[in-house]
Amino acid sequence: MRRTQLYEVHRKTAEMTTFANFEMPLCYKGITAEHLAVRNSVGVFDISHMGRVTITGSDAENFLNYVLTNDTSTLTPNSALYSVMCNENGGIIDDLVVSRLDKEKFMLVPNATNRDKDYNWLVEKAEGFKVKIEDVSDKVAMLAVQGPNAEKTLQKICNVDLSKIERFKCAPARLADVEVFLSRTGYTGEDGFEIYVWNATLENPDNAIKVWNTILKAGADFGIQPCGLGARDTLRLEAGLCLYGNDIDETITPLEARLSFVVKFQKNNFIGKNALLKQKDEGVKRRRVGLQMIEHGIPRQGFKIYNDKDENIGNVTSGTFSPLLKCGIAMAYVQTIYAQEGNIVNVEIRGKNAKAKIAPFPFYDAEKYGYKRKIQT
Amino acid sequence: MVKVDGYEVPEGLYYTKDFEWLKIEGDKVRVGITDYAQKQLREIVYAELPSPGATTKQNEPYGTVESVKAVSDLVAPVSGTVEEVNAEVQSKPELLNEDPYGKGWLLILKPSNLQAELANLMDFNKAVEWHKNLAKEGK
Repeated sequence: MRRTQLYEVHRKTAEMTTFANFEMPLCYKGITAEHLAVRNSVGVFDISHMGRVTITGSDAENFLNYVLTNDTSTLTPNSALYSVMCNENGGIIDDLVVSRLDKEKFMLVPNATNRDKDYNWLVEKAEGFKVKIEDVSDKVAMLAVQGPNAEKTLQKICNVDLSKIERFKCAPARLADVEVFLSRTGYTGEDGFEIYVWNATLENPDNAIKVWNTILKAGADFGIQPCGLGARDTLRLEAGLCLYGNDIDETITPLEARLSFVVKFQKNNFIGKNALLKQKDEGVKRRRVGLQMIEHGIPRQGFKIYNDKDENIGNVTSGTFSPLLKCGIAMAYVQTIYAQEGNIVNVEIRGKNAKAKIAPFPFYDAEKYGYKRKIQT
Repeated sequence: MVKVDGYEVPEGLYYTKDFEWLKIEGDKVRVGITDYAQKQLREIVYAELPSPGATTKQNEPYGTVESVKAVSDLVAPVSGTVEEVNAEVQSKPELLNEDPYGKGWLLILKPSNLQAELANLMDFNKAVEWHKNLAKEGK
C-alpha cells in the first residue's frame, strides 16, 4: 500500500479509503459538505497520489508531440494543456495535464492508477529521442485549491500576483515560504490552482505539511474545507470530466470519449494517429454522454442502458448523486444514434428501469457554477 | 441511551444484525435503521419503501436505502403487514442520518408472529455487546 506525503495529516483528520493502491482520505466532514464548499467557496485536496514525471532535454517537445495527441509545440513556458496518450490502436493509455516549465523541461501528471504504466511506456517510446525521463512523484507533493475563492485564499500566502495567471497558465512561486510551481488548472470544473510542492519527499514531507496547514489557515475566512476523494469524484462528475479506468481506458479512443479537442491531426506524426484518422473517417459507433436521472436512483458503474424497445444500447461508466442537482448523474457510453442531448433512455437499477435523459456537460448551470460563472461570490 | 464507540444504542428497542431497530407500540411495531447503519452509509439520498398493505417477512428485504457511497437493502426485523410508511423520509432522506431512532423511522407494521420472531432479535443488552464487537472489528 502506498501513501502520500500528507498521509500523517489525513490519518488524524479523515475517513480513509483505498484508491489505486494508495491510502487516501475519502472525506473529512462529509462528501456533500466538501463538494458544496468547492462549488460555493473553496476546498483543498491532496492529489499527491497522482504521478509527476519530468521530461527534459533538447528533444522534449518533439518527444511529447510524438507520444501525446495534443500539440505541445503550442505550449509556451509556464503554460499547461490537457492531452491524452494513445496506443497504436488509438486506445487511451492515460489522460494527463502537461506543463511546460522551460524550453526543454516539461512536467506530466499521470493518473495514480497509471503511474508505473505511463513511466514504462514513456521510457520505451523515448528510444532515439534526446530526453531524460524522471519520476519525481515521491519528491514533489501536489495539492489542489479549488473554488471561486481559491485565488483569494492563496493570494494571502503567495508572493506572485495570482490575478495575472490565466486559466491553464503557470508560475513558479513561494507559497507559505515554500518553493512551489502553481498551475491554474483542476479537476472540479471550478477556478483554482494545482500546486507542485518542491522538496517534499515521503521521508521528509515537512514542506507539503506546511503548505497544507497554511492554506487551511488562509482559507478559514472563506470556510475552506479539506476535501477527500469522495468530493473529488462528485465534483469531476458534475463537471463532466473523465476518470481513467472508469470512463476511459485502452479500449476507448478519444473520439468515442468526446475528447477530440485534444487530438491534433494536423501534427506530423503521433502514436495512434492512423487508427484515429480511420475512425474519424468511418465515424464512431458509441459516444460518451452525460445521463441525468429523471426518476429516483443513482446510476452506478456497469449499469445497463436500454432504449424504449428494451434493447441494450450502452452502459454506465461512473455515476453518483449530484449534490448540486440533487439527483443521480452519470457518464455512460451509448450507441451514437442515441447520444443526442435530450433523448430519454432507461437505466436498469437493481432490476428496474428508471428514466434518464442525455444531458450536456457540465451538468450544472455554467452561468452560476464553474470557472466560467458569471455570478461572482 | 448508551454510546458504543460513538454509535447510539437506545434502551427499550430490539435490534437485528441487519442494522435495524424495532420498537413495540401496543399491537404494532415501529421499524428503522440504527445509528451504526446510517453512519456506515453516510449521506443517504434515497429511501425506497413499500406501500401500506404490503407484507414483510422476517430477514427478507422490504426496501433499499441509498447513499452517495452505497446502496443497502432494508431487511425486515419481523413479518407483518405495513400499516404506515414514513413519507417524510422519502422526501427528506437526510432524516435517516440526522435522527435514525426518531424522525427517521421507516415503517409501522402489524406483526403476524411477533412473540416467536422476537426470539431472533437482540435486546438492548445483547445489542450493546454486539456493537462493542462491531467497533472492535474496526467496522
